[in-house]
Amino acid sequence: MCGIHELTEKDLQPLTYTPAYLDKIKGMRFFDPHVHMTSRTTDDYQAMADAGVVALIEPAFWLGQPRTGVDTFRDYFNSLLGWERFRASQFGIKHYCTIGLNSKEANNEALAEAVMEIMPQFIYKEGVVGVGEIGFDDQTPLEEKYYRAQLELAKEANLPVQIHTPHRDKKKGTQRSMDIAIEHGLPPHMVIVDHNNEETVKEVLDRGFWAAFTIYPFTKMGNERMVEVVKQYGSERIMVNSAADWGISDPLAVPKTAALMHESGIDSNDIHLVTYVNAVKAFAQSGQINEADFDIAGNIDQSEKFNGSTVLRGGQQPRINKNTTIIR
Amino acid sequence: MAQYVYDRQKMSEALTAIIAGNSSEAARDWLQQRLEKAASIPQFNQTFTAIPRFTGKNIVTVSPEQAAVLHQLVPGFFVHGWTLDRLIRVWWLLQLDATDKAAYLDTVEKLFLSAEMNELAALYSALPLLAYPETWIFRTAEGVRSNIGVVQEAVMLQNPYPARYLDEPAWNQLVMKAIFTDKPLHLISGLDQRSNAALAAILTDFAHERWAAGRKVSPMQWRLLTAFVTADNMADLTRVWHSADQVEKAAAALVFSGSDYAPAKTLLASDPALTAEIQSGALSWDVVAAKLTQN
Repeated sequence: MCGIHELTEKDLQPLTYTPAYLDKIKGMRFFDPHVHMTSRTTDDYQAMADAGVVALIEPAFWLGQPRTGVDTFRDYFNSLLGWERFRASQFGIKHYCTIGLNSKEANNEALAEAVMEIMPQFIYKEGVVGVGEIGFDDQTPLEEKYYRAQLELAKEANLPVQIHTPHRDKKKGTQRSMDIAIEHGLPPHMVIVDHNNEETVKEVLDRGFWAAFTIYPFTKMGNERMVEVVKQYGSERIMVNSAADWGISDPLAVPKTAALMHESGIDSNDIHLVTYVNAVKAFAQSGQINEADFDIAGNIDQSEKFNGSTVLRGGQQPRINKNTTIIR
Repeated sequence: MAQYVYDRQKMSEALTAIIAGNSSEAARDWLQQRLEKAASIPQFNQTFTAIPRFTGKNIVTVSPEQAAVLHQLVPGFFVHGWTLDRLIRVWWLLQLDATDKAAYLDTVEKLFLSAEMNELAALYSALPLLAYPETWIFRTAEGVRSNIGVVQEAVMLQNPYPARYLDEPAWNQLVMKAIFTDKPLHLISGLDQRSNAALAAILTDFAHERWAAGRKVSPMQWRLLTAFVTADNMADLTRVWHSADQVEKAAAALVFSGSDYAPAKTLLASDPALTAEIQSGALSWDVVAAKLTQN
C-alpha cells in the first residue's frame, strides 16, 4: 500500500516499459516466494514468465477488506488450490501456496474460530508448502491466540511457517513472533520471517531463522537498500520477494532486484541464492516442492500421442504483443 | 436406484492390476495400510488427499488387454494417459462404502467442495464409476463450467459419463465449451451419437460470428452437422468446401459423405479423388484430427 508520498507531475506520467534489465539476467531462473497473484492480472503472469520467474508461492492473506464469513475463506483457499494454480500454469509458472488465517482477520473471533475449523482440510493439500502468512498486525491478544494455534497446526503437519511481521512497531513485533515460535517448539529452520528491513535482519539471522525481504515501493524495502543488505550480510538464509498485491507493487521485483545486484557487482552465485535457491530450500521442507516440476510446468508441448490422437496438457496461452495499438 | 450400474468388484480388481504394474512396493504397502482405515470418513478423505505423496505422478502404462477389460466393464471408460495418482484416487473412490446412499453422496460431494486442481480432475474422471450415477448430472455440468483446463478435460475428454447422462442443453454446452477452449473434439466420447439439430444450429451461428470477426473456424466442428445438412446450412458448408485450406475442404467432404442431403452428395461427387480417399479410408475424421494437432 502506498504511504504518504509527495506526488509530482512526473509521477503521473504513464510509465514507458523498457525491459533493458532483462538482458542482464537472461537465462536466470527466479522463485518469488511471496506474491498475491489473486490481485494481479494475467498480463503480470506473462511478464513474470518472460523475466524468468519459473515458480512462486502465494500466501493466503487479507483481500483489502474484511471477509464476513467462513464460506468466503473456503472459496478463497479453493481458488489458491485451483483457479490461480491453473492460471499460472498457462504461462509455464508453477504455483504453490501457503494456507493460513492472516493477522488482520484474526481479530474477528467468531470468524477466526470457524476458519481454524476448516484449516486442516486445506493444509495437507498438494502444493501447500507452509502455514502462512500468519503473525502480528496490531499485536492484539486475539492475533496472538490464533498465531499460536496455527503454529501448532504447522508443527503437527510438519510444514514451514511463513511469518508476516507487522508494519507498525516492527522490531518488537518481529522479536515477539520469533520468541513465540521457539516457545511452541518450532525449529528456526522451519520458520521464514518475512518483510525484514535493516533494523530486524541481524537478529533474525543470528537466531537461525530464514530472513525474507519484500521489495515493495514506499512501504517496505527498496532494491538499492536490498543490494546493501546482501553486501553486508551475504546470501545465507536470505531471500527476496515482491509481495505484489492490490497495492502499488511490482510483480517483477525479484528479477529487477537480481538485475540491480548484478549491476552492483554482487556475485552471480549469491544472486542465485537470494532470488531462487534459498526460498526453494526453505519451503521444500514441506515435501511439496520438486524442482523438476518447474521444467514440466514450463514445457509447452506436453502432448502425448495415443492411437494417433493427442492428449493435450497445460493449455498454454498464446502470447500477445503489447507494443502495438492493434488488438485482434 | 442402483448403487452401481456395472460390476464394481471386477472393476476394482481390474484397476488394482493396472496399479500393481505401475507402482512401487512401498506405495502398495501404504495403500494396503490405508485400506484398513477406509471405513472412517476423515481417514478416507485424508488418504484421498495424500495419495500423490506416496504414489508419485508417473503416467501409467496400460496394456491393450487391460484396456479391453475396462471397456468391457464400462463401455468407453478410459485411463490411458492418466498419472498414477489420478488412477489410484479413482480406485480409492471405489473402496468407499455406498450402501448408505445419503452418507455416500455427502462424502463424495464434500470431496468435490474442498478439492484442489488434481483432486478435481480425479473426481471428474471417476464419474463413470461412481455409485448412484444419476445424482452426478448437476455436478458434471458444474465441471463443464469450470475455467480450469485439466478439470474441463477430465469431464469432457474420453469420459463416457456426459454422453450417457447429460440432457441435450447441457450436452450442447459441453461441446461448445470444448470448442471455445480449443479442446480436441474428436476425443469427446459420444460426439457423433449425441449430435443434434439444436447443436447444428448453434454451430452455424457460431461460424458466422467467427467469420464476421475474421477468425478461423475449427474444421472439426462441421462433423457435428453430418446428420443435419439442410438447405439452411448448405451455403456455409459450400463455403468450407471451397476453402483454400485443404483440411477445411477435407472436413466438408467428410460431412457430405455422411449426409443424405442430395446437393451435398452432388458436390462431393464433383471431386472423385477426394471421394475415393474417403471410400478407401485414407481420409477420415481421425486423419483430420491428426492434421489439426500437427498445425
